[in-house]
Amino acid sequence: MTPAPAIEALGLAKRFGRITALDDFTLTVGRGEAFGFLGPNGAGKTTAVKLLLGLCRPTSGAAEVLGAPLGDRDARRAVGYLPELFRYQDWLCPREVLAFHARLAGISLSSRTAQIDEALEVVGLAARANDRVGKFSKGMQQRLGLAVALLGRPALVFLDEPTSALDPVGRRDVRAIVERLRARGAAVFLNSHLLTEVERVCDRVAFVDRGRVVAQGTVADILGAARAVRVRLESPDEIALAILERYGSVDAKPPWFTLRGIAEADVPRLVAELAGAGASVHAIEPTRTTLEERFLELLRAGHADLDDRHTNPA
Amino acid sequence: MPILTIATLTLREAVRRRIAAVVGALSIALVALIAWGFWKLNAAIPMKEAAVGADSALTILLAFMFSVVLGIGSAFLAASAIAADVDSGVVLAILPRPITRTEFVLGKWLGLVTLVLAYATVFGTLALLGIGLATGYHPPHPVYALAYVVAQSVALLSLALLLSTRLPALAGGVLAVALFGVSWIAGITAGIARALHADALAHVAAFVGLLVPTDGLWRGAVFELTPVAVLLAEASRETSNVNPFGVTSSPPPAFLAWSFAWLLVVLTAAICSFRARDL
Repeated sequence: MTPAPAIEALGLAKRFGRITALDDFTLTVGRGEAFGFLGPNGAGKTTAVKLLLGLCRPTSGAAEVLGAPLGDRDARRAVGYLPELFRYQDWLCPREVLAFHARLAGISLSSRTAQIDEALEVVGLAARANDRVGKFSKGMQQRLGLAVALLGRPALVFLDEPTSALDPVGRRDVRAIVERLRARGAAVFLNSHLLTEVERVCDRVAFVDRGRVVAQGTVADILGAARAVRVRLESPDEIALAILERYGSVDAKPPWFTLRGIAEADVPRLVAELAGAGASVHAIEPTRTTLEERFLELLRAGHADLDDRHTNPA
Repeated sequence: MPILTIATLTLREAVRRRIAAVVGALSIALVALIAWGFWKLNAAIPMKEAAVGADSALTILLAFMFSVVLGIGSAFLAASAIAADVDSGVVLAILPRPITRTEFVLGKWLGLVTLVLAYATVFGTLALLGIGLATGYHPPHPVYALAYVVAQSVALLSLALLLSTRLPALAGGVLAVALFGVSWIAGITAGIARALHADALAHVAAFVGLLVPTDGLWRGAVFELTPVAVLLAEASRETSNVNPFGVTSSPPPAFLAWSFAWLLVVLTAAICSFRARDL
């Protein structure tokens, strides 16, 4: 039997008074999948995670985590979580923090020490295992948070802005941790606004803006929707421009014409048509759209849509 | 057992943050000072009967000071128990674990009650032993008296824990201590009103005393510390209940049952309040 998805949310919404923090949140994250949840600050990313972890109650909608209803005790044994804003007990040392969480997670005494050592090793805190947490920098605390999230070999790990306090080496380590989790079949739900790292490690992503998911799919799908080619034409006539417009939207900065939305398979046909119409094609090259550019594009589109609705209410 | 894990952590925090060490050291110094004071006092009073009266009165005053300090201390400890963990984000890491919010609140409560019980037992025993050694005076029922003082602090810390589920630590602590004071004043007011036959005022004051039963529990401690001769003398005075250090009877069983029910209601309210809170 196929195991239930790691996360399945259907129309989850959360309102705080008149403020809608999350609306119609619907998505599925499969087992062993690294899922990037992206959005600007205050978009509703942390609210979504808190709802899925049972830290907040949804106003409406439903969701399951590891095939169990939200807040289910057994499911929580297999979930790891690194909160965005947190501080561990500053009077404990990392080994004690992990021992406390190991007891709460119900990890057996026989494997507790080995798991704690492994978690400390993975996040690079083995040498500081007995220092007081109160003396740690924010980055070190974040590493400890990661160790806590990894404890108990969870099947699903929520990482909320895991690299916000880390240096480039720390970020690379987090990428390695995500890859390691995925390799052993654990699902990772990665909340971040650092899009480059998400693009590197995630199989699928969703963009959230002002509480609503505005796009979701594989990284290739999301970027594919924004695929573009640049064509260099010397003095193109109206026929050549009409051909370009048939294949997608044109952004003209002569002699370069950027054509958006064209399918990769259509590019040779476009070149042939332009040449057949007598246009002198000097160069044609694909443009690389990053997740960050695509994200900004979607945000701009969303804000323009909202502006339109404010200007021309139905 | 998650409740015990949380309770143990609460106790360890008190030990590790040196709260226990500092309070312990101060308490030992205080016990020595108390014993010395009683010894000097008895040396200055030639008549044995008068010395017993002075010893019993001073023991009750000391018990009062101890109960107030213990009550305020427990109120502030409990007021920060949950609020500080919410503020720091510690709960965000704890509650996604397989632990219910009920277990979290009960674990905090159990840890704090254990702390108060341990401290009150050690300090109370040492203080009474010190007084006994210095003067030969032993109050009538020290164990019951200590139980009342602990019950008063447990009531107050439970109230503060309830406030801690919603209010910042300082606000919760101040409010709990203010309600402690209100209960005390209500007890005195009820006594005055009864002496003056002002029935309406007496009823309102008694009702306020039931809303926060700490003063009633304190009067139980006074009763258990007062020698029989002093009780009889107090009983002959109509104004005995006006004096928060002078009582004529132990709290009725109905009041004790109410106090227990009140404690359960406050604890249940704390659990419900924290369960309903979005974090």
